[in-house]
Parts: sequence; C-alpha cells; structure tokens
Amino acid sequence: MGKVDVTLTVNNKKYNLKVDSDERLLDTLRERLKFTGVKEGCSIGECGACTVILDKKAVNSCMVYTFQVDGCEVLTVEGLEMNGQLDPLQEAFIDHQAVQCGFCTPGMLMSTKALLMDNPAPTREEIKTAIEGNLCRCTGYQQILDAVESAAKVSRSGEDV
Amino acid sequence: MLEFQALKADNLDQALDILDEKKKQVKMIAGGTDMLVGIHNESDDLKGIDYLLDISSINGLELIEDKKEYMKLGALCTHNEIINSDLVNERFPLLKKAAGVIGSTQIRNRGTVGGNINNASPAADLVTALIALDAKVVLKSKDQKRELPLSQYITGPYRTDLKANEIMTEVKVPYIQGEYYENYQKVKRRQAVAIARINLAVITKVEEDKLKDIKIAFGSATPTAIRFRKIEKYLEGKDIAELNLEEIADKTGQEMVDITGTRWSTPYKKPVVGNLLKRALQDIVKEVQ
Repeated sequence: MGKVDVTLTVNNKKYNLKVDSDERLLDTLRERLKFTGVKEGCSIGECGACTVILDKKAVNSCMVYTFQVDGCEVLTVEGLEMNGQLDPLQEAFIDHQAVQCGFCTPGMLMSTKALLMDNPAPTREEIKTAIEGNLCRCTGYQQILDAVESAAKVSRSGEDV
Repeated sequence: MLEFQALKADNLDQALDILDEKKKQVKMIAGGTDMLVGIHNESDDLKGIDYLLDISSINGLELIEDKKEYMKLGALCTHNEIINSDLVNERFPLLKKAAGVIGSTQIRNRGTVGGNINNASPAADLVTALIALDAKVVLKSKDQKRELPLSQYITGPYRTDLKANEIMTEVKVPYIQGEYYENYQKVKRRQAVAIARINLAVITKVEEDKLKDIKIAFGSATPTAIRFRKIEKYLEGKDIAELNLEEIADKTGQEMVDITGTRWSTPYKKPVVGNLLKRALQDIVKEVQ
C-alpha cells in the first residue's frame, strides 16, 4: 500500500505529510499530529466525538480519508484557544457546567462552533439540529444547549466573557 | 483488513480514464459516509478492491442548476447543499425535507446525492423522493453517455446498473407544471441519525377537489424504493372530501405484501405503510382546505 502526499492546514499551521491510503483524518490528527482532543467513539459516524471543522463545516473525522482532503483547512478543539484565551464558547461550557465526563465535549464544541460561525444567533431548535450527531452519555444536553445559547448572546452583544 | 491504494481524480476525464484502465478493481468514494462504514465493517461488497478513487474534488459535479425542463442535481452536491439551495426550496421542497432527515449535520455536510443513490440502500431517504419525482440519472464513461430512470437504475438492495467504467454525473429532476402538493413521511427509531424503517413520498395535483397525477413512492417497504401503482390508480380522480382512509390503508398494505410476500417484518410494516399514506393524505387534504 503506497503512501500519499498531502498538505493539510490544521489550526492555522501547515503540515506536509505522507499518509497511508486508509488513514482517516481522525488517525492523522490523533496519531500523527497528536491533536488528541479529537476523540474516537463509534468509528461509524453516529456519536460525533471525532467532529472537527473541515473547510468551515462540521464533519466526522472518522468518515473522511486524509488523502481526500489534500489542501483543506481543519480546525480542532486545540485551535479554539487564541493567545491563551479560551473561546467564548468554551467559557460558556464551563460557566454552564456543560461538561461532565468530557468525552463528548470536543465534538460538541466543534459542532456548535461551526454553527455559530455560520449562524451567530441560532434558535434553540437550530442548536439541537447542530448537535443531533453528537451523543452525550452523561446526558447533559440541557446545559450544553444553555451554554451555546449564552455564547451566542455574548458574541452578539460584543461583550468579553 | 481491506487493503487498497488511494487514487484522486481532479477532473472527470481523469477519473474516467482511471476507471477505463483499471475497471473492476476500483471503487469510487465521495462523501464517504457509507463507504467508510463499509470498509470499517469489511463489507463483502468491498472485498477484492485494489483502488479507492476519490472523486469528491471533481469541479462542477456539485452544482444544482435550473435547466428549463428540469433541475440538475450534480452527483456531488451534498445533502446540506440541497437543503440550502434556493432552487430546491422553490421548486422541490420535498427534496429539502428528504435531505433534512438524513443522518446528522456532520453527515449532511459530507454525504452526496450520488452516494445516496449509488449505495442503493432500500432505506435511502433521497431516493424515495426522487423516485416519486420521476428523476433520471446520467452516467458517463470514457466514450459514452447514457441516461435512465432512477427506478431502473437501482436494480436491487445495494445494487445498481452502474458499469465498471462509468461515473454518475448528475440527476435530472423534471419540473412539474402547475400547482401541486407534496408530502414526505419517515418512520425511524429516534429523531436523528436514524435509518428509515419506512419512508414515503407523495406528490399530487388537486383539481376541483379531485386527486390528479398522484405519485406514491415507498422506501424500505420493498427490496428497492418503488412507486405503488395500484394505490395510485385507485386514488386517481378521487374526491378529497370522500377518501375512505381505512380502505386506502388496507389496500396499500396489501400492495406491499403482493410484492414482498409475507416476511418476518410484515406484521409491522403492513399496517405502517397504510397508516403513513393515510397520514400523508390527511396532511395534503388539510393543506388544500
């Protein structure tokens, strides 16, 4: 099985990689680049723990081969923090106690970050749609919805959290 | 473990050349939302593949275009692109509804109409709607181009008429003249990320309170999604104020059993197909009034 040359931009940094044909974006991020915030749950696109933002859209990184996304931009949970400051969305997750065991959190954050990038003032229903592919087995959904709503309000009013 | 060599085509000609040369050893991948599950599960259909050809970055195949007589859905347009298309919204809200119940946001961002059709699951949500809409598919090979009705293209569960040297480039959805009503129903185990137990698409005109040109397609009820022609014929011309819903439900269940025979799922599916059509017709009647 031959290797494939791929250029990826992850969290604003460019990487030139030689990847295996069957290497999933999830594998590249976790094993090769050590972005271990990306979690592997079900491996078949049902749990959303591996969600990353690929060219501005939330995707399951377990359902994408790295060779398919040559030249693309990826944002993982590690890329949310800027200059030592957490993203307002991360702050809101903390404030609303939207994190219990934490396994689903990176995926939840990336799904809802993608939503807010596209729609800064979502309704509660729109937030639910954005995370319908993310399972939280601690069942902290209400707190997660509250966190996203409050982060949307904060960014709308331009306040710093 | 399935072992394969990755290949990537930047344009259609290049992809067709690769298929022409390597023929049967190649499988195509676009959004990958079914393919990666198949590979993960080492599906029998994928045993013996040597190459996986990525066609997801072929330019132009993702477009949704108005072609006067029909709407062209590029094979690579994603479910979310269908949902967000003004043209789809205006002309075929049914397709927006069908695309909207597929998987999750993440899956709708990657999965394509071509993939939904070519995976040929009997439960595919878009396929049922496209069958009701009399869609056609366009298939290209290096030297040829052919077009056939979607209902003929899907030949069985997970089987299509795609030849080893062909790529599906587009789906043609013919415009319907005049005002019409449409309804989409899906029965599933939960609200999201759920495969349809049964889905239903209904399209009909209503003239002087009478059903006209009614089209009814069920998915997951028969080996492939198909139009239920007997119940269509029975309903044609019926006054919407005088629909005998119980009789319609019975006849619909019977039509399914006539096709499938009695299977383990029949005690569940027979009443459900009938009730779904009942629900769809009730919705349409309400809309008319």
